[in-house]
Amino acid sequence: MAGICRSRLAEERKQWRKDHPFGFYAKPTKATDGSMNLLEWEVGIPGKTGTPWEGGVYKLMMIFPEGESLHHQDTTHRNHRNVSKFTPPLFHPNVYPSGTVCLSILDEEKSWKPAITIKQVLLGIQELLNDPNVNDPAQSDAYTMFK
Amino acid sequence: MSDGEQHATQDPIEPKAEDANAPINIKVVTQTGEEVFFKIKRNTKLSKLQGAYATKAFAMSALIRVNGLLAVCARDELWTCLFLFLYDGERVQEHDTPSSLNMEDNDTIDVMVEQVGGSA
Repeated sequence: MAGICRSRLAEERKQWRKDHPFGFYAKPTKATDGSMNLLEWEVGIPGKTGTPWEGGVYKLMMIFPEGESLHHQDTTHRNHRNVSKFTPPLFHPNVYPSGTVCLSILDEEKSWKPAITIKQVLLGIQELLNDPNVNDPAQSDAYTMFK
Repeated sequence: MSDGEQHATQDPIEPKAEDANAPINIKVVTQTGEEVFFKIKRNTKLSKLQGAYATKAFAMSALIRVNGLLAVCARDELWTCLFLFLYDGERVQEHDTPSSLNMEDNDTIDVMVEQVGGSA
C-alpha cells in the first residue's frame, strides 16, 4: 500500500517538474543525507492577483501519512488524505491555529477523491485564501473578525 | 589491453557518466504563460540562461529600441537584475548550474519582474 502511495507521489513530482501553475512550488523534502522524502512536501502558494494576498507566497508542509494508500478502500484513517499545514500558521477562518488547512477536497468524508492531484489541492487552497467558508470555521479569531 | 576488465566488472551501462555534461532543455515561463525554451549544458552556469532571457525580454520593450541601445546588450548580465528567476520556489543564484540544482530535462523555471521594496 505504501508502495502505491510513493509511486503515485513520485509521478506527481515528475509531472510537476515539467509543468506547474505559475509561482507555485512543490517539492519533497530532503533528509540530511540527501535522500528524498516523498511523504513530506514543502510547498508554496502565491496569492492571487487582484486579491489582498497578491505578492505573497504562503508556505505549507504537505504530509502524506505513512502506510496510507491513495486508494479509497483503505479506510484505516478516515480523515485527511494529506495534511496541509501552513508554516507559520495563517490567520484565516479555515485554517486551524496549528496551521492545518480545513478544505473539503482534503477530507475523505467530503469531496476528496483518489484522482485529485497535488496541483488541484494547491489551486484549491489558493482559492480558499480569498474565499473563506464561514460555515465551517477552524479558528475563532479570524472567524469572528471576518463574519 | 583493457578489454578484460571491461565486461567483467562494469555494471550495466551507467548513463550518468556519459551524460554528465549533456545539454538539457529548460523552460522559462512567465506569469502570462509565455514560454521560452533553452538548451543548456548541465555544468554551464544558469546566469548565462538568465542573461540571454533577460536581454531578449528587455529588447522587446520599446524603450531599448527607441534609444538604440541594443549594442549595450552585448553584456547580457546587465539585464538579469530586472528579472527574478525561481526554481522550485528558490531564487536562482549567479553560480548555480543545472547540475548543482539537480535539474532534469524539461524542468521549468518561473520568471517574474524583480521588485525592490522601499525604493518608492
